[in-house]
Amino acid sequence: MMILIVSAVTFALLGFAGGDALTQLQDNPQISAVTIERLRSVYGLDQPLPIRYFRWLSGAVKGDLGESTYFRVPVSGLVWARSISTFLLGTAAFAIALALAVPISLIGVRYKSTTIAAFIDMLILLTASTPRIVLALVTLAISVRLTVSAMNSSSIILFWLAALALSAPLISAFLAQFYGELQRTMREDFIKLARAKGLSESAVILRHAVRPALNPVLTIAGLSLGGVLGGSVIVESVLGRQGLGTLMVSAVRARDLPLVMGIVLFTSTAVWLGNAIGELLQAVNDKRIRDLGL
Amino acid sequence: MNEQLSRDGFTKRRADRVAVFGWLVIGLFALAAVFAGFLAPYDYSAQSRFEPSAPATAIHFSGLTPIIHSRRVEDPLRRTYTEDTSVAFPVGFFVRGYSYKLLGIGETDVHLFGVKSTSGVAPKINLLGTDQLGRDRFSRLLYAVRFSLIVALIGVLVACLVGISIGGVSGYAGRFIDTFLMGVTDAMLALPTLILILGVRAAFPLELPMTRAALLLLLIFALTGWAEMARLTRGLVLSLRKREFVVAAVALGVSQRRVLFRHILPNILPPLRTRAFLMLPTFLLAEVALSYLGVGLQEPEPSLGNMLTAAGDLDQLRSQPFSILAPALVVLLFTLGVRLIGRSDSRKQ
Repeated sequence: MMILIVSAVTFALLGFAGGDALTQLQDNPQISAVTIERLRSVYGLDQPLPIRYFRWLSGAVKGDLGESTYFRVPVSGLVWARSISTFLLGTAAFAIALALAVPISLIGVRYKSTTIAAFIDMLILLTASTPRIVLALVTLAISVRLTVSAMNSSSIILFWLAALALSAPLISAFLAQFYGELQRTMREDFIKLARAKGLSESAVILRHAVRPALNPVLTIAGLSLGGVLGGSVIVESVLGRQGLGTLMVSAVRARDLPLVMGIVLFTSTAVWLGNAIGELLQAVNDKRIRDLGL
Repeated sequence: MNEQLSRDGFTKRRADRVAVFGWLVIGLFALAAVFAGFLAPYDYSAQSRFEPSAPATAIHFSGLTPIIHSRRVEDPLRRTYTEDTSVAFPVGFFVRGYSYKLLGIGETDVHLFGVKSTSGVAPKINLLGTDQLGRDRFSRLLYAVRFSLIVALIGVLVACLVGISIGGVSGYAGRFIDTFLMGVTDAMLALPTLILILGVRAAFPLELPMTRAALLLLLIFALTGWAEMARLTRGLVLSLRKREFVVAAVALGVSQRRVLFRHILPNILPPLRTRAFLMLPTFLLAEVALSYLGVGLQEPEPSLGNMLTAAGDLDQLRSQPFSILAPALVVLLFTLGVRLIGRSDSRKQ
């Protein structure tokens, strides 16, 4: 439903603005207006907008997103191939964010020192306010300095650096959520009970506090998927990685409408799927949600 | 009583040194944007073809007066320069240069600083070096702050207008409209915004003149950025709807629109203002991203985004990383400043 609205709106906008991949051909003196019109009818661009949308949609349902007008290959294959690289990068970013946020929060709750709390506060602030584009550019500058070839996208170091740049806002979101939630959980009655049983503080945290505190993090993780996909456009462009983001940029530059539509559709579906998985994991993690029958 | 309260608030704000730092940064940005012409020693589009991609001008001191030397290209391919140390040109304040409009009204040609010269020919002082066309990067950066900030500011205003209207209607109207509008809002919030922005951008011609490109960016921002505001407004409206003064106004037969705009809206304005302020960096970053990718504000007008495209020249990035990445630093400072203020704001509430 949401995906349907988005695709319709994007399609309508693309259509109303007038102008498509063939508009640029008008500047070419060697191509007559007649030829352009014929090309339009070949690609079905002379049809009214609703019909074109319907055609595109009926194809999309069957997994056929049309042919890229610029690259002259089927959109679905292109998007699929590129999405793997972006998927890896995004997963790495999520992994980095979790690997940092979870242990730091645990340490912060275990040793309630003001220094650690201030450090966490600082880290949240810094990672939240460092834009991805800045991080990516700094990464680029450093890698150029160290003469790690920036164009060599197979470089493992560069991959992780890119993932780190992509993960900065995630770190702050996860850390703020998990740390805050852990502190809230620690004031709950069942924690008092666990302490009363004589469990050590570490055991109380690890066995009793972590699971309930994990749920909001899962929500945030699902919600930040859109941001990661958007951020991958920047990170990939700056660091010269071939992925979904760079594909989107070249599609926009070439005004390749089928490709643009395909990527928008693909990413919105991915985000929707990510949210669904997030909710599912919550249900797995928390029996209370499961019992609600959700 | 009232005075007491405001003084109390003032001391609290002063105690929060971090927020003061934030305000300082934002104040500097406002100054740079307003007085770009005065602060910038050169015209942002003035090219100096003899000095492309020059590093920052070295400033020497003779006694207490700062001086610079003229320089010449040594190797045009490696872009190295040699200084001619035989003649010294003093650097001074309030120097006359190209003319510009101060505050949009009076025309003047006085600049904060510049190179003084007796003979009329003076080398240029480039605090951040020059770009490929020999334009002064420092001057361009100041104007870039102005252009980017204007776009972000108006973008936030437009998105807020749309968002507040939708959120207000959603919170005030019946359940059916509310469900529908919030469904759309949630969908918007979950989407990969930047990809959506790019998608909308694809609908328009790639190269646009300055004003039209700016207008287009504003349109895109309004289309994609309203959801956050709508959500907040709706929640606030819902919480106020059942309050006595609103019920009283409705009972008195005040029209719906009047209730919404005269009774509810003024009461929910402070949190909306805070959120709008926090949205500034988001929009600034969207402009930076689009311009960096070459589909936002375009040359010859500088913007924080399109200045950063220079980082694509890896040789230059290696030799003068600071000059090239100065716009990125500016962006970082801006987001940090806004965050600091926003954080102390939310702590007070």
